[in-house]
Amino acid sequence: MASATPRSTLTLGGRPLHAMLVPIPIMCFAGTLITDIVYWQTAAMLWADMSDWLLLAGLIVSVIAVPAGLIDFLGDARIRKLRAAWIHAIGNVTAIILSIFNCLIHTRDAYTSVVPSGLILSALVVVILLVTGWNGWALVYRHGVGVRQTEQP
Amino acid sequence: MAAAVGVSLALAGCGPAPGDPSRQVGPNPYLPPIHQYLLPPMHVAKVVGWNGATPIVPAGLKVQAFATGLANPRSLYVLPNGDVLVVETGGPPGPVSRPKELVMNLVEKMAHSRTKPGQRILLFRDTKGDGVPDQKSVFIDHLNSPFGVVLVGNDLYVANTDAVLRYPYATGQTQITDPGVKLCDLPGGPIDHHWTKSLTASPDGSELYAGVGSNSNITENGIQAEVGRASIWQIDRTTGAHREYATGLRNPNGLQFEPQTQVLWAVINERDELGPDLVPDYLTSVKDGAFYGWPYSYYGQHLDPRVQPQRPDLVAKAIAPDYALSSHVAPLGLVFYSGSNLPEHYRGGAFVGEHGSWDRAVLNGYKVVYIPFADGRPSGPPEDVVTGFLVDGDQARGRPVALAVDGKGALLIADDTGNSVWRVSAAH
Repeated sequence: MASATPRSTLTLGGRPLHAMLVPIPIMCFAGTLITDIVYWQTAAMLWADMSDWLLLAGLIVSVIAVPAGLIDFLGDARIRKLRAAWIHAIGNVTAIILSIFNCLIHTRDAYTSVVPSGLILSALVVVILLVTGWNGWALVYRHGVGVRQTEQP
Repeated sequence: MAAAVGVSLALAGCGPAPGDPSRQVGPNPYLPPIHQYLLPPMHVAKVVGWNGATPIVPAGLKVQAFATGLANPRSLYVLPNGDVLVVETGGPPGPVSRPKELVMNLVEKMAHSRTKPGQRILLFRDTKGDGVPDQKSVFIDHLNSPFGVVLVGNDLYVANTDAVLRYPYATGQTQITDPGVKLCDLPGGPIDHHWTKSLTASPDGSELYAGVGSNSNITENGIQAEVGRASIWQIDRTTGAHREYATGLRNPNGLQFEPQTQVLWAVINERDELGPDLVPDYLTSVKDGAFYGWPYSYYGQHLDPRVQPQRPDLVAKAIAPDYALSSHVAPLGLVFYSGSNLPEHYRGGAFVGEHGSWDRAVLNGYKVVYIPFADGRPSGPPEDVVTGFLVDGDQARGRPVALAVDGKGALLIADDTGNSVWRVSAAH
């Protein structure tokens, strides 16, 4: 029976894997911006160290979360007809590439690991995630991607 | 996306090419602009061991193995009766507070030999007078990352990474069973980034001087971790009372008094990740109460942008060191030569042991150099004396650490990665 709304290809128990995992890197990269700002203002090293760990954790989980999203993107042609899906996909891939650069910049020692390049990249990534997040919510809540249609009793 | 990652990683290594080290020796080294990285250059010499080979010396000198099969020998001290103390030692593992340290621990492992350090001092005695020892004993055991050793009268002082200990010594002793007495604490763990505590005594024997390296490259462990560090301590050898004699010295080693002028000199390992030619390591006289820049600046008033908050008041009075050795050579050994065994050419100057670089695309160091002195100051460029530690371009057979002059005027070299001690004397 064909689904009325675009389906997610990579699911676990009917739940899209991408949607399950993606909040983790989103919060890690958002957290990185916060710890970067606090480090910028205080120069207290624990905040820079936290940025390092958050960036690494976000990238590690993205290794699964991003390909999961790409599999969904490629798995149903109806998704690729949605403009929101293209913005979401291209934007998130860009965010990951920038986060890899950001992770490397954060390996520097002391202040210049964050100020100015690390902080700028962290902020840029969060702006991108706001845009891709907005479009991601549209994919689910306006277009029903991955949502099972059931008969109303 | 894989292509993007590949390209970005290729770009990450971008930066200025390493320059000619000879531009960076002496009192006025060329200092290029600062370059910061996505991925700083790393070139670790693969440890291959000596396999029966020996280092190379110029005509007029000969080199032989003084001791082999050791467990990470890093420091030496020659007792008045000619017995040679060899310190087998290694640093404590540091805590991991950021992901980079996981990687750096792996890099450190690759750059050194696999042998577990002995954490003890061995005594070697040459009873036949041929330069090669025939007696060996464990002099002091169960030490804690020892490095510096100095004898004053009948008091033998050993600098563990976290304390200076005093032992009673009688001439001819081959083993000390006395547990020793702590003279004073030194800054040790839990981080202990630069852990080698070099030690020497003033010519009149009243004061000890200990080199205390910084607890980071450039304060990335927090400025609080640097209290009492990056300095040379002056310690009263009877009471243990101490003060910071000179500060701003990132990792001072090879503390030695110049014989003619009785001035304290040291070799210093300067900071990393500003480029292949920044910041040159140096040999300098150490002035009482002087500040040499670390962490805020280098070579006087050259600011390091990685340090916040800055201290313009300290930077204003930072003094430049006397003699640059070029960048990332990692000098750990210094000895002034006032013997007469070696040819005339090598008398009156200083030998420096360069452990060698890990963070420069073109390796630097990995040799022992000689710097002539006149009137108590360097009087010429450094010249290579003991080489051959590197083979096939970038493989390390061994790496020189501390130096000493033995009872017969020969130069001794501790080689930690080659687990040997080498003896250089005049060829006959």
